[in-house]
Amino acid sequence: MTKVRVDENELNVDLTQSEVEWIQNALERNPSITELGMFDVMWSEHCSYKSSRPKLSLFEDAEKNYDYVLAGPGQDAGVIDIGDGYALAFRIESHNHPSAIEPYHGAATGIGGIIRDILCMGVRPIALLDPLRFGPLKGNPHSQWLFKYVVKGIADYGNCTGIPTIGGEVEFDKCFESNCLVNVACIGLGTIEDFKHAPSRAYNPGDYVVLMGGSTGRDGIHGVTFASRTLTELSEADRPAVQIGDPFTKKMIIEATLEAIKTGYVRGLKDLGGGGLSCALSELTGDGGTGAKIDMGKIFTREPNMNSYEIMLSESQERMAFIVKPEGLEEVLNVFQKFEMAHAVLGRTDDSKILRVYDGDNLVVNLPAIALSESPTIPRTEKRPDYLDQLLTEITPEPSKKLDEIIYILIASENICSKEWVYRQYDHEVGVRSVVKCGDGDSGVLRIIGTDKFIAASVGTNSKHCYLEPYEGAKEGIVEACGNVIANGAKPKAMVNCCNFGNPEKPESFWYFAEAVRGMADCCKNLRIPVVGGNVSFYNEDEVSNTAIKATPEIMIVGIIEGEDNIITLPFKEFGDDILIIGETKAELGGSEYYSVIYDLEGGIPPKVDENQIKTRWNFIQELYKKKLIKANHDVNKGGFIITIGEMCFKNELGAKLDLKDYNNYGLRDDELLFSESVGRFIIETNPRNHNEIMKLAKKFKIYVKKIGVLSQNPTIEIKGLKSGKLEIDALKMKNLYQSTIPNLMEI
Amino acid sequence: MRVKIAVLDFPGSNCDLDTIHVLNNVINIKADLVWHNYFKESKYDGVILPGGFAFGDYLRAGIIAAHSPAIDEARVMLEDGRPVIGICNGFQILTEAQFLPGALLQNDTLTFICKWVMVKVENNETAFSNKMNIGDILNIPIAHAEGRYYIENLKELEQNNQIVFRYSNENGEYTKDSNPNGSLANIAGVCNLERNCIGFMPHPERASESILSPKGTSHGKNFFYSMVDFIKKRL
Repeated sequence: MTKVRVDENELNVDLTQSEVEWIQNALERNPSITELGMFDVMWSEHCSYKSSRPKLSLFEDAEKNYDYVLAGPGQDAGVIDIGDGYALAFRIESHNHPSAIEPYHGAATGIGGIIRDILCMGVRPIALLDPLRFGPLKGNPHSQWLFKYVVKGIADYGNCTGIPTIGGEVEFDKCFESNCLVNVACIGLGTIEDFKHAPSRAYNPGDYVVLMGGSTGRDGIHGVTFASRTLTELSEADRPAVQIGDPFTKKMIIEATLEAIKTGYVRGLKDLGGGGLSCALSELTGDGGTGAKIDMGKIFTREPNMNSYEIMLSESQERMAFIVKPEGLEEVLNVFQKFEMAHAVLGRTDDSKILRVYDGDNLVVNLPAIALSESPTIPRTEKRPDYLDQLLTEITPEPSKKLDEIIYILIASENICSKEWVYRQYDHEVGVRSVVKCGDGDSGVLRIIGTDKFIAASVGTNSKHCYLEPYEGAKEGIVEACGNVIANGAKPKAMVNCCNFGNPEKPESFWYFAEAVRGMADCCKNLRIPVVGGNVSFYNEDEVSNTAIKATPEIMIVGIIEGEDNIITLPFKEFGDDILIIGETKAELGGSEYYSVIYDLEGGIPPKVDENQIKTRWNFIQELYKKKLIKANHDVNKGGFIITIGEMCFKNELGAKLDLKDYNNYGLRDDELLFSESVGRFIIETNPRNHNEIMKLAKKFKIYVKKIGVLSQNPTIEIKGLKSGKLEIDALKMKNLYQSTIPNLMEI
Repeated sequence: MRVKIAVLDFPGSNCDLDTIHVLNNVINIKADLVWHNYFKESKYDGVILPGGFAFGDYLRAGIIAAHSPAIDEARVMLEDGRPVIGICNGFQILTEAQFLPGALLQNDTLTFICKWVMVKVENNETAFSNKMNIGDILNIPIAHAEGRYYIENLKELEQNNQIVFRYSNENGEYTKDSNPNGSLANIAGVCNLERNCIGFMPHPERASESILSPKGTSHGKNFFYSMVDFIKKRL
């Protein structure tokens, strides 16, 4: 905090002393109180990315290097051309800090914000996905409270707006106990024409600036500066900085905005999110190379006597700013009238390159439009934490339990068990596009009505692996999310990320961020996946217990499936079929669920990613798809491949006879073989008569594929060929444990 | 003969476009999406109130919409025998408007529930079930937080044969497990005495194309075919 004297007031700002001086020099005067507040917000970490920008430049330029990328990082959302005249927009964002304080409204307004970002690209929001992180549920009422109300916040908001929530992931870990993570992602679909009509820029002088939607109130003032600090005990007092959402108004805004765009008179639009009007107006004009003259008195406020500082900085939800061609003003306003949405013409753009805001005759803001959006960057130091060397040398303890017992414990563990309790509360079917039901696939699959194309989307990352090896962990996040869409029959097309880290002012926390970005950048380059957007959330650190969260670079991948018969689901279909594993299993138990659940151990060597290998496996799978040789596919994830096989048995209550004698190239211990989390493996179901053909193709692609068993009618998983002999698992008992964990924990 | 159906669009309706899609592209009949303020009953042979959260479901699910001018238009249709159909939120509106008896209370799970369930046909002489057989078991999804049907005088409803659909298991039994929300007597849909007004909690528009159904069924179509048939017989 820096104290700045403005006229007779003394203001506490989060700007540094040198930033304040920079502003004074640039303006050649003292900023007004409102201007200072605007700089404070716009130059906060959340809006300006001042710590992260130097690192984010490691990502290759998506718009330049990939011809199908229509909009890359820096826009409200990434947009890709998916053929047939359609544009797909998507973005992921964090709403961690508000949700940690007020889970219901924090999560709800997170959804609200991400929907607006997609709407800004001129397309209809058609799906939501939410990766979440909490402390362990068992015996922890605080975590249960956060979990319950975050899910309810997402459900109430998403369901009401008529946008299906089609996917997500949840991890529970002690490090998230006081800093839960709520990341929200949204996908939008429209024609390429729709997208072209609505840039989030004001390029033309003389256009009208129109505000539409909810009224401006005192809620959420300084929400972004709040999100750019660590949580303290005082944070509870920050509750007024959490916005209140109104999904009904949001639904109206969606419809009114899309109908307004259809008139052809909207030349630009921008949502009011973090930083409120300050942010929207300065970005519209600053990035568009124009200026604007705004009459603040036209802004409809929720309460009387709000001053210019409050109005310009309010983060009241459900507001959009439109740049409208003069000749179409009336028609656009008629659309807003039809939906009974409040609106006001605030002023016009001009060629002054200066943003001027008048309160009556008083000029309260008079700033070069570009100044607000061009914050200086801050170089941060990075340092690899000393504790890692020790953690990485942990070795696998001698098994303390029988293998079958461990399998039952793992399937019932909070991170592996079914998340049905969550997705039952989400309307995942509204929009009549969801063709793979929740639980039947590794990703959410949506049809594009009127075409034979399908969108597959997945989000995720492995925080435990990232904690030990952020470079490899971030790569794994990408390979996993891609693996999920591939398992459903898609080709991965593009990636967006949401980086959740601790305090960047601490060299150890910043090292995690720097390593994760380096990992993502390298992996995406190697796999030829464009990074079309991202969001950085720092300060996920708790000053009371002095703990930072485990590094969590959430990855969202969208892919495209060409043709209905190329959609693949994960449940095993028919007994007698072969079970094949693609990829080798190595002794990579570091940061595994096995270590964590059975030994409460956080160390060991986590999995490594070999992109060349991975790429070849993906090509091989695409070849099998083309020849229609795969009946079910599931990406191997937490808990190892034995858990994967269990999950595939559940739906149709089948069993499996496995023989692992020849599937152990590295002479692993039984527990290493079964529970290792080596990256990029798949379990597939195939018809036995195709075995030779598949093995021939494997040889041609030079990849490792092994038949490890057959499906049986009897719901038992028999495992032969282990060093400790034979194992028999009751698949129905496993299913029951899988399904009952969260309902049991959440039932009061 | 052209059948013209209106899908009423309240602020907050969100299954409006889904219902229009099915009517236009699956059932292949002419249906208009009509903004509630512009709705004129004289132009239509029947009306559907789609799912969603009309007026945000503020105060109580469906109650604000139930007092809107569009419902006065729909009442004219109700009284002269044209089909008036409420799906999900539409059903809530129709009970609040007292077109239909009973009320829809919060699910006994106290949560929103989105899942595929089964319903059994109890009455096939209504504007939304005449293309079905009594005893048919249909796969169809629900998605609601307030779908627990309740009525004081269940006996009267039964005597009048006003229960059109009940939640059942695959054997057609009305069990507790097959009742997703705690509805009285597993009731999923009811009709008025004249059989032209039906309210139904599950979503037939989400069950009309086999690609959307986990079992590859398209049972939802018969609801809309019934409505079209009912209109044709009247004309």
